[in-house]
Amino acid sequence: MKTDDLIRILAEDSAADPPPARRLWLLVPAVAVSLAAVLLTLGPRPDLAGALTSFLPAMRHVLSLALFALALAAALRLTRPEGRAALWPLALVAVAALVLALWAWMTTPPEARGMALMGKSSSICLFAIPVLSALPTAALFAALRAGATTAPRLAGALIGLAGGGSGAAVYALHCTEVSPLFYVTWYGLAILIVTAVSTLLGPRILRW
Amino acid sequence: MTGPTDDWAALLRAGMAGDARAYRAFLAAVSPVVRGIVRARGRALGEAQCEDVVQEVLLAVHAKRHTWRQDAPVRPWVYAIARHKVVDAFRTRGSAIDLPVEDFAEVLPADPGEDLTERRDMEKLIGMLDDRAAGIVRMIGLDGQSAAEAGARLGMTEGAVRVALHRALKALAALRERHVE
Repeated sequence: MKTDDLIRILAEDSAADPPPARRLWLLVPAVAVSLAAVLLTLGPRPDLAGALTSFLPAMRHVLSLALFALALAAALRLTRPEGRAALWPLALVAVAALVLALWAWMTTPPEARGMALMGKSSSICLFAIPVLSALPTAALFAALRAGATTAPRLAGALIGLAGGGSGAAVYALHCTEVSPLFYVTWYGLAILIVTAVSTLLGPRILRW
Repeated sequence: MTGPTDDWAALLRAGMAGDARAYRAFLAAVSPVVRGIVRARGRALGEAQCEDVVQEVLLAVHAKRHTWRQDAPVRPWVYAIARHKVVDAFRTRGSAIDLPVEDFAEVLPADPGEDLTERRDMEKLIGMLDDRAAGIVRMIGLDGQSAAEAGARLGMTEGAVRVALHRALKALAALRERHVE
């Protein structure tokens, strides 16, 4: 086939696909299922309304959702082949989380630090957050596959951070641990697990 | 940015709004530049195989045109696709290549030349489509028919031919990803 023939074929196909951002609605059912899973199986924490308005418990949602939003924005920029993503906003979230944990370390009496750090639910947290993140992460991959990233590993990592952030925000509706020592450590670790898997999957799923 | 970039943007914008002639002009304007890039970087492949890579890049530009933001310059977008596809093509053909995108602007456009314009890779991929899809692609590409003419021959509406063509081209892009050697 001559290149001119190919061009003639391509020009006859006038239907362009919608850009990847227009496929983000896939997140809605995915997050809805995760929400339903938490509320129906684990159950919301009994004092949810109070927890959402007091600083330390609410920061779990704020940090997780900030991570979700900033990682998603960066991943969307990478759907353009020439796109570059600034990572410093994500670093700001990490720094804010570490500052919060450091502050908790200093204000927690030394004999209580160990208990605050280990909590009572670290294993369920490490299990539940990746599970709750799975569908939103898959939805993000499905949406951003329509893009044309030239940095699939980084895009995969950003999708993992966004998906992990959404899973953590959902899980926090159930979790009663309020010490930043606990949640920065264990939420952070759970999100990193999701991110590691997504980073490995990025080059496979986002190929084009 | 001035000059050709603005022309490309206007053509692609019109093309994406449904102006097939503008879109064809866009692809025709892009292909010598892509060819220049591929040949400048890929002498090891020979000019004939380079043309296969040019066609792969054009297919990718087409399949991913929705990732161009209409207010962004076209040239960096095309270069990024070309670089990605050329590196990929060279890797699957067994040779690594170093391709700084900054050099692309200096590469001279190239014409296809006489005897190496018939390329085999795309034919092979079209052969992997189902018969109807392959038939539509060949009628439009090789016999030079319009979607309406192809539809009349196949007993399909023009719209149905266009939908089938769109699916066939997406399938081609996906096939290329898996089967090019």
